[in-house]
Amino acid sequence: MPGGYTGKILRVNLTTKQVSTIPTEKYVEFGGGHGIGSAVFFDLVGDQLPFDAFDPRNLIIMMASPFSGTFMPGSGRCEVQGLGPMLYPIEWFGHSNFGGRFTAQMKFAGWDGIVVEGASDSPVYIDVINDQVKIEDATNGVWGMDTWDAQQEISRRAVPGLKQGEWAELAQNCFTTQIPAVVACGPAGERKSRLGALLHGPGSQAALCGFGGVFGSKNLKAISFLGTGSVPIADPKAFMDARLWFRQFQWDVDNPRDAEIFEGGGYSLINGAPSGGNVTNGGPNRVPARAAACASCPRGCKMRLATGDSNEAVCAGTMVANVGGGGMFAAFGRKPDPNAMPTALSQKLTRQANDLMHRYGLGHWQVMATRGYIEALVREGVIGKGKQIDFELPPAGSFAYHETMFRTIALREGPLGALAAEGAARMAEKLGRYQKDVSSGMLRLTYYGTQEHYDSATQVEWGYGSILGERDLMLHQMANYPLHWMAQSGNPYLDAEQASKLYAEAMVPYEDDRYLVDYGEGPTGIYSDSKVKQVAWVKHYEKFWIGAGGFCGWRWPQCITNNTADRRGATPHAEPRFWNAVTGQNKTFADYMELGHKIFTLDRAIWALQGRTRDMEVFPDYVYDQESRGSVQPMVVDGKWTYATGQGRKLDRAKVEDWKTRFYKFEGYNPATGIATRETLEKMGMKKVADTLEKRGKLG
Amino acid sequence: MSGGKKTDSTETAAKKKFTRRDFLVTGGTVVAVDALIATTPAAAVAASPAPPPEKVQAYPASKGYLVYDSKKCIGCTTCMLSCSLTHYGVQSLSLARIQIIQDSFGKFPTDLEMAPCRQCKYPPCVQSCPVQACFVDEANGNVRRIDTDKCIGCKTCLKMCPQQPHRTVWNHEIKKSTKCDLCLETPYWNEKGGIGGKQACVESCPMKAIKFVSEMPDQKETDGYNVNLRNEHWLKLGLVDDSRIVPPGSRSMGGGAPKAKMQAPKAKA
Ligand code: SF4
Repeated sequence: MPGGYTGKILRVNLTTKQVSTIPTEKYVEFGGGHGIGSAVFFDLVGDQLPFDAFDPRNLIIMMASPFSGTFMPGSGRCEVQGLGPMLYPIEWFGHSNFGGRFTAQMKFAGWDGIVVEGASDSPVYIDVINDQVKIEDATNGVWGMDTWDAQQEISRRAVPGLKQGEWAELAQNCFTTQIPAVVACGPAGERKSRLGALLHGPGSQAALCGFGGVFGSKNLKAISFLGTGSVPIADPKAFMDARLWFRQFQWDVDNPRDAEIFEGGGYSLINGAPSGGNVTNGGPNRVPARAAACASCPRGCKMRLATGDSNEAVCAGTMVANVGGGGMFAAFGRKPDPNAMPTALSQKLTRQANDLMHRYGLGHWQVMATRGYIEALVREGVIGKGKQIDFELPPAGSFAYHETMFRTIALREGPLGALAAEGAARMAEKLGRYQKDVSSGMLRLTYYGTQEHYDSATQVEWGYGSILGERDLMLHQMANYPLHWMAQSGNPYLDAEQASKLYAEAMVPYEDDRYLVDYGEGPTGIYSDSKVKQVAWVKHYEKFWIGAGGFCGWRWPQCITNNTADRRGATPHAEPRFWNAVTGQNKTFADYMELGHKIFTLDRAIWALQGRTRDMEVFPDYVYDQESRGSVQPMVVDGKWTYATGQGRKLDRAKVEDWKTRFYKFEGYNPATGIATRETLEKMGMKKVADTLEKRGKLG
Repeated sequence: MSGGKKTDSTETAAKKKFTRRDFLVTGGTVVAVDALIATTPAAAVAASPAPPPEKVQAYPASKGYLVYDSKKCIGCTTCMLSCSLTHYGVQSLSLARIQIIQDSFGKFPTDLEMAPCRQCKYPPCVQSCPVQACFVDEANGNVRRIDTDKCIGCKTCLKMCPQQPHRTVWNHEIKKSTKCDLCLETPYWNEKGGIGGKQACVESCPMKAIKFVSEMPDQKETDGYNVNLRNEHWLKLGLVDDSRIVPPGSRSMGGGAPKAKMQAPKAKA
C-alpha cells in the first residue's frame, strides 16, 4: 500500500445497519477523493442507474485523499459525492466539498473514506472513533436540532468526559486533545430540501448538490470522526523538505513581498494573506478576530470573532444574508448610504442572519438563486398578499426578511416554502415558467440548475467547464482570482502578456501553447484549440488535484503568485513533489493530469448512464442572445495582449458547437454524443465501463 | 475522561507497575509526586518551588525555549504534524509534542490554545520520574528530555506536568511518555535540531506564531510564553484588539486606490 492511505474505506448500510470495509487498495489507481469516489459509485450502483437522488440506493460517498491529515498546504477538503437532488433536469452524479478538519480526523481514525448506502427507518447518526463504528439513535434529541447544536451535542455524546484544554483518553489507551469532527444536515436537510447543505463547524459547507437533503432521505443526521492514529508517509524527509520549500509561495506575514502594493486594497482577497473571507468584519467597526484555517492551510482565509458570530463564514454567505445593506459595503470600502442602518448594526445583523442560514443547514449559493427568484416573482406580482402564491415577506433587507425567508424554505412552510425547498429550477418548473425565465435570463440557472457565477461569454473556462461537468465549476483559483481579480484590482502586477506566458509555462502538458488564457474572440481566443486545451486542463486538474487530492479551489492551482520575485507560482512543481513524497509513487505532473482525464471520463460515463446527451451541454438562450456584461480578462485584441472586459459580446452558438466537437475529439470522446469511445476507455484501463455503456447502448 | 492527571485509576495503575526496587530507589520522589497531585496545576507551579535547594541546583536552566502567540495562530496544525513527521516519520496529532486545541464555535481569543512544552526551570517531569528516564540533557543545552529506552510507561510525568493539557505526551504506539526535545532527535528531518539548530514547528508555522528564544521566559504564569509576535503587517490585517489603529478601509476590497504602481516583473523566457 502506498503511503498516505490508511488502507480501508468504511461502508455503512443504513437499511440493514451492516458495517463493513472496502480495501482502498482496490481503488488506489484512482488516486483518492473524487477519483476513488467515482469508481466506488460506478462499481456499487452504476449498472442500476438511472434512479432518483432520494432513492435509498443513492450513495453518500465522502472520500479523503492521501494528503488528508497531512500538512500538504491547502488539502483539507472533503469531497462528497452521490446523486445531487439540487441538479436539474436530471439529478446528476454530483460532487460538492467542504473544508475544515473532517477528512483529517477520518484519516487519524484509520479510514480513507466512508460510503453510506440504504436508508434507516428512523433517524440515526454515525459515530466513528478509531475502529469503533456506531450507528446511534438520533431520535433522542439530535434529530430536529440545527446544524450547530447537533454537531456540539454529538461531540459531547461521542466523548462524554471531553473538556476543552485537556487530554481525553479514548479506547485502547489513546489520547487526544482534539474534539470530534462532525458534519450534519440541518432542519432543511431533514425535510429533504434540495437546498439542504451539509455543515461542518459553524461555516464550512457542502451545498451545491443538495446533499443535506440526501442525508435527510436516509434519516441520517450526521457523521462524526475522531481518531488518534497517524497517516504513513513514504518519504518523510522529502515531505518535510517540500513543505519548507513551499514557504516561498506563501504570504510572509511578518514581511510580505511588495507589501506597499499587495497589502489590503484590491488584493486582500487574493494575495494569500490571512483572513479576508468574511466581508462583514471590516471597516472601522471590525470586531477583534482570529484568522482561522482549515486543517493544513497556510493561509487561514476565515475568521473567528470575539463575538462568536459568523465564525468561519465566507463572502458568499454574508452577501446572501445582507441586512441593512451597509455592512458588506463598508467592508468593501464603499460609502454607506446615509439613510441606511448604522454600519456596525448592519454588519452585526448580517453576520447573525448568515449564522441562521447555516444553522438551518441551507446552502448559501443556492439560497441566493432561490431568493433572487422569489424577489423577481414578487416584482411580477406572482408572490404577494392575495396573489397566486399568497405570501407576504417583511421589507427586503431587514433581519426579519432573512429570518422569514430561511425559515420558510428550510421548514417548507406554506405554499412558498413547499415550492422554494425544491430549489429555483423545480420551483420555476412547477410554476410552468422554467423555459421562459431561464431563457430570458431572469432566472440565471446557467449550469444544470446552479446559478451563473461569472460571465459565461468572457470567463469561458468557467462556463464551458461547468456545462461539461454537472454544476457550477466553482474553481476560483484556475483563472478567476489570479487573472480576473488581479486585473479588476486596477493595478495588475503582471501585464496580460506576462501573465499569459507564466500561465502557459505552468499548464503542463500544454506548455507550448502561448494562448491558453486568451479570452478574446480572435483566432486564438474563446473558440480556439487553445481554449480546448485550457478547458481540458481545467477539468483534469479539477478531477485529480482538486478532487482526488482534496485541494482547496481557493488555493490551487497556483500558476502565478504575488509572493515570489518572478511571480511564478508553485504549479506544476509542487503537486507531484508532495504527492510522490507522501505516496512513494514516482510520476510526473502530466501523468497525474492524465489520471484526472480518466476520472473525468468516468464521471461522464456515469452521466451518460443517467441520460446525458451532447445537446444538454449547452447554455441557456440568454447567454447566446443577450449582450454580455463582460468580465475583465487577458485577451489578444488586434494581435496584442491586453486586459479587456469583452462587454457586449454574445457567445456564438455555432462556434460553441464547433468548439465542443473539437473538445470531445481531443478528449477521446465521440463528438456526436460526447461520450468516451471504447478505444479511449480501454486505453485508460476502463474496459468494464465500456462494457456497461455498451450493454446500455450508451457507448460513444 | 481527562488525560489522567486526577484519575485515581490511572495513578493506581502507574503505581502498580513499580517494582519494590523502584520504590526503594525512588520512594522519596514518589512521595513528593503525591503531594503535588493534590494541588491545582497553576497552584502547583506557584507552590512547586518546594523542591529543596540542592534539587533546584541539579536542574540547570535550558538554553532554549519556545514562545508563541496564540492570537496569531490560525489553527492549521502544521506545527503538530511537522513535529510528528520529523520525530516519527508519520503525521499524527496525538503524537505531536506541541498541541493546538481549538473549538471553531468558540469566541476569539479563547477559541484556541497553544500548548508547547515550557522547558520549565523546575521541571516536575524530570523531578518526578521514578527511573530518571526524564532528564536534563546537559550535553545538549540542558533540554528537558525523555529517554524512551528507560521510560517504564508509568505516566507519572503526564500527571505531574502542572500545565493543562500536560505537555508530556503519551505515545500509545510504544506505550511510553515523550516530550518536546526542541528537535534534538529528529531522524526524519535533514536539518540539525536542538539548541543552536532548528525546530520543526517554528520553521513550518505559516504564521510565524512560534519562536525559539534563549532567554528563560517568566515562569509564573503563561504570559511569559504566550507573547505578541505580531508586527505592523499583522495589524494591517485588521484582526486583533488593537486593530482600530488601522486606517479605515485599509483591508477593503476594491475601494481604495492602489497605493503604489507595480514595476513590471522580469519574467524569465
Ligand atoms: S503551525 Fe502556526 S498557525 Fe498553524 S496551528 Fe501551529 S502555531 Fe498555529
